[in-house]
Amino acid sequence: MSEAATLSLPSRLEVVDHVRSLGRALVAVMPIHYPRAMLRAHQLHPMEIWGPPHVERHEGSRHFQAYTCDIVVKAMSFIRSGGLDATKAILVPHTCDALQGMGSVLGDFLQPDQRVLTLYLPRGRRSSDHEFLRRELGRLARTLVEVSGHEPCRDDWDEAFEAEDAADAALADLYRRRARLAISDRDFYTVVRSREYLTAEQFCDQAAALPEGEAPQRGVGLMISGIVAEPALFDQIEAMGAYVAGDDLACGFRRVYSASAEADPLERAANRLLTSPADPTCGTPIQVRVDTLQTRMRALGARGLLIYDPKFCEPELFDVPLLRKHLNAAGFPVLHVEFEMGDRLPYQTLSRIEAFVETLS
Amino acid sequence: MSRVAAIGIDAGSTTCKLVAVDQDGTIISSLLEPTEPRVELQVQRMLDAIRAEHGANSSVRTIATGYGRKLIKDATRNLTEITCHARGVFRDLGCAGTLIDIGGQDSKVIQIGGDGRPVDFMMNDKCAAGTGRFLEYTAARLGVPVPELGARALSTAQEEPISSTCTVFAESEIISLIARGAEPDSILRGLHRSLVGRVVSMVRNVGIVAPLMLSGGVAKNEAVREMIAEATVEDVILPGEPQLMGAYGAALLGI
Ligand code: SF4
Repeated sequence: MSEAATLSLPSRLEVVDHVRSLGRALVAVMPIHYPRAMLRAHQLHPMEIWGPPHVERHEGSRHFQAYTCDIVVKAMSFIRSGGLDATKAILVPHTCDALQGMGSVLGDFLQPDQRVLTLYLPRGRRSSDHEFLRRELGRLARTLVEVSGHEPCRDDWDEAFEAEDAADAALADLYRRRARLAISDRDFYTVVRSREYLTAEQFCDQAAALPEGEAPQRGVGLMISGIVAEPALFDQIEAMGAYVAGDDLACGFRRVYSASAEADPLERAANRLLTSPADPTCGTPIQVRVDTLQTRMRALGARGLLIYDPKFCEPELFDVPLLRKHLNAAGFPVLHVEFEMGDRLPYQTLSRIEAFVETLS
Repeated sequence: MSRVAAIGIDAGSTTCKLVAVDQDGTIISSLLEPTEPRVELQVQRMLDAIRAEHGANSSVRTIATGYGRKLIKDATRNLTEITCHARGVFRDLGCAGTLIDIGGQDSKVIQIGGDGRPVDFMMNDKCAAGTGRFLEYTAARLGVPVPELGARALSTAQEEPISSTCTVFAESEIISLIARGAEPDSILRGLHRSLVGRVVSMVRNVGIVAPLMLSGGVAKNEAVREMIAEATVEDVILPGEPQLMGAYGAALLGI
């Protein structure tokens, strides 16, 4: 296993203090895609919620069907127990039916003190999808003025886009430089995921400070797909004699956006969101996902695909049988594992991953 | 000089097995004991015994598998049960195919390729459904010794359906069946059917590539064998020592 992390990331609490000192208020944001620059232009800062640790399901589970995923149920438990009291609003993008349900339960029934904001995302990349998204973003922007009491001027928008585009570029650059970064997979993904709560500037500083040299990755290269991977998984994979050659994670590579140079802020925000890589929650056709994964796996030297999902993640589950079929046909073995967030990974799950690594060795 | 070329250890949750093989992969010696709480001490004792019996020293390659594999300090290497069972059965039966291994705490279905390596596999999730433990717990309710389970289940044509594959729920079903005066053997037959249903659904998920092979402690149970064959419409074949296949495969991988 790698040596202890050498990173020095600000804690969430430190970030909260910092953004408050900048005059920005906090917005809790559920996964996956949302317009970061728009929040910043309104003097708001996103704190993303991807299944908070040390939170039980029971409080949240009262409001959902028994099969709803941990990301949604645990976030609801967290909200109900006052974990998000410091935020001014909760933004729930329509990533999947579970999150749409959460937006409705919060906005229509529970009505917490924070304003509940929804964002309907299109399921395609046609011009009608673009137009729909632009209108949705316009609606969201108007609500954000009410939440923040701040109507952004041209300079606010420019400053926000400049900062967030730089952070997006830093994330894309991290992926490009991965093979030259002398850090473990755990550290790499800790930095990638720090985008979930750091300011754009803090994230750029962290990314720039990572040491270059020989990457310590050894053994069997895996591609990891899914929604979110917790840090312990990376240690386990390393101990099994494997490494993460690349990812197709919602909390990782699926959020490598390209910047747009449009002058109109809504147009610019919509363009950015529509550049996200292949993603089942964005309605990417299965053949496009298969082709993209194959190309990336070949380029990155990944020998197999590990699909690692929270239990009952509907959009992911729909694609699994076809991904398996097509990638197997292309010579890439696939393992699908479902896990419960926050649990120690059970022996069976670890054994399955280890056996998968052995079959690839 | 010792004939022992490698030793395989399967530190399972229910039983602990050791197999020593010669350079050709022939089993020279084996040991099998119920697993003790300190499996690492138990394995050390068994290893010492097997080494002493064959004059082997500690430089002989020793491969560990099973849930306690990472605790075995003397192991040269540790590998998962999937890889080891596949290798052991492939060597013993001499063919590729689909292996069902039903152990005390877990069960797995492994598609074995033409080189003896696993091509695809599935393990049951973290509960006792579809494992030997399911039969053991529920049969204990009926006061039937484990070695007699299969024969008793086959001794009747009457079958009490058990709808649950969950050990806890099945146990309450058994209690109500007993209270209604159902025959213990008919209940046992229903229990076997329930376990086999769970295992066969895993087999279907992985896909059947004939022949169907069975290993693990539960392979000795004739009712399980018969019901799997019935449900899959495939012949089920067994290696010579179904319980030793994990340790045997581990030993083979050490040569
Ligand atoms: S894990 Fe899946 S189902 Fe749950 S919120 Fe994320 S996308 Fe939706």
